[in-house]
Amino acid sequence: MFTLKVSGIGKHYGDALLFKDISFRLNLGDVFAIVGWNGSGKSTLLRIIAGLVRPSAGRIEMFCNGEPIPKESRRQFVGMVAPALSLYDELTGLENMEFFCRVRGVACNRNNCLEIIDGVGLAEHATKICGDYSSGMKQRLKLAQALLHKPPLLLLDEPGCNLDSKGIKVVEGIISKQRQLGVTIIASNEKREADYADKAINLSE
Amino acid sequence: MHQTKNGRQITQTKPSTYLNEAVAIWFRDLRSEFRTRYALNAILMFAVTTLIAVSFSIGSFRIEEAERPFLYAVLLWIILTFSALSGLARSFVKEEEAGTMDILKLSARPQAVFLGKLLFNLTLLGAMELIIVPSFILLMAYQIKFPGFFIAMVISGGLGLAAGTTIIAAMIARASARGALFSVLSFPLLLPLMITAIKGCERAAVGIGTAGWPEVKMAVAYVIVMVIMSLFLFPLVWEE
Repeated sequence: MFTLKVSGIGKHYGDALLFKDISFRLNLGDVFAIVGWNGSGKSTLLRIIAGLVRPSAGRIEMFCNGEPIPKESRRQFVGMVAPALSLYDELTGLENMEFFCRVRGVACNRNNCLEIIDGVGLAEHATKICGDYSSGMKQRLKLAQALLHKPPLLLLDEPGCNLDSKGIKVVEGIISKQRQLGVTIIASNEKREADYADKAINLSE
Repeated sequence: MHQTKNGRQITQTKPSTYLNEAVAIWFRDLRSEFRTRYALNAILMFAVTTLIAVSFSIGSFRIEEAERPFLYAVLLWIILTFSALSGLARSFVKEEEAGTMDILKLSARPQAVFLGKLLFNLTLLGAMELIIVPSFILLMAYQIKFPGFFIAMVISGGLGLAAGTTIIAAMIARASARGALFSVLSFPLLLPLMITAIKGCERAAVGIGTAGWPEVKMAVAYVIVMVIMSLFLFPLVWEE
């Protein structure tokens, strides 16, 4: 049972306030949307939750079966897809997946990696260099990478970005499956993506 | 546990160790480098052109024999140090430029990232020394009385260069004026090592004062201090 608790989070860059006093609590099965105008801080809030950016105020807590998860272990509980996160262009899709398996300590052989890649519809392109992928194919591979270690907290920043209708279906499937596994947070301007969520916060308000 | 499409399960058997993560990063960097030759070309081009320039302009006969041990040691370490500086910073800069820094932060522990990058830089530097040092000895007719001491000095000095440049590279990766900052930070950090390595190579050539291998011990101590300090410092540099 995974729980995410966000308490009084604020972020400012110098004197410029991005947002303040953001608080919410999410439990297993929750799908949460962060919406707002461009520059309202949606991606920054996701990066704060992922532990990539320090908040100016407030704190993020994660619990597994009621036990707090130490800060240094949280990366094992988080999967993230974002436009700013890139994979290694000089490696193939399969090599990227094998690398992330090894570095995350996921026991995963070549066939398992191929199956995960197949799950996002990239089986035919698994052995192609990522630099040659289209932006939609890269987005699919990012989704595969984020799901590799079966994270209880899935952070999706504009998940449908660059995806065709089949890719959108893949995202919908992932969000639907994640309801049984943990928490999903979606940051997006797209109404369709925000509609996947049960709860939402608008950073523009 | 991860359920794949056909129902097979991938189990996370045990938490990954620092060493496993570091080796994974090392192999990935090697594979990327093998395909792009991003750093290797920069290092080798600098090293080869400098070596050729030095050997043609100075050669083995324009320096008095008594001055050769010291001047050759100076020239050798200038070539090695500046060649290393031209390429080793790229291990972190490349992650920043390619936008892969964040995904690495989410996947691996900071110390494992540092160790992986250090192993990669050591590999590059080792390959560079294997080419440069024998070529320098041949082209300059460098005579060494104690080859064992000389080899130990080159290896320990190389380890120090890799350890020093790896942590500086991490510190400057997100800066805007990376090149200038790298030189400014490298100078005070690498100067003690360079002076030690030059002295050691001079002694190896002359064959006097090598008892107890003082310069080699000094360089090894520098490596140990630098790696331990870097392992403590790196998480602060790595996390925003």
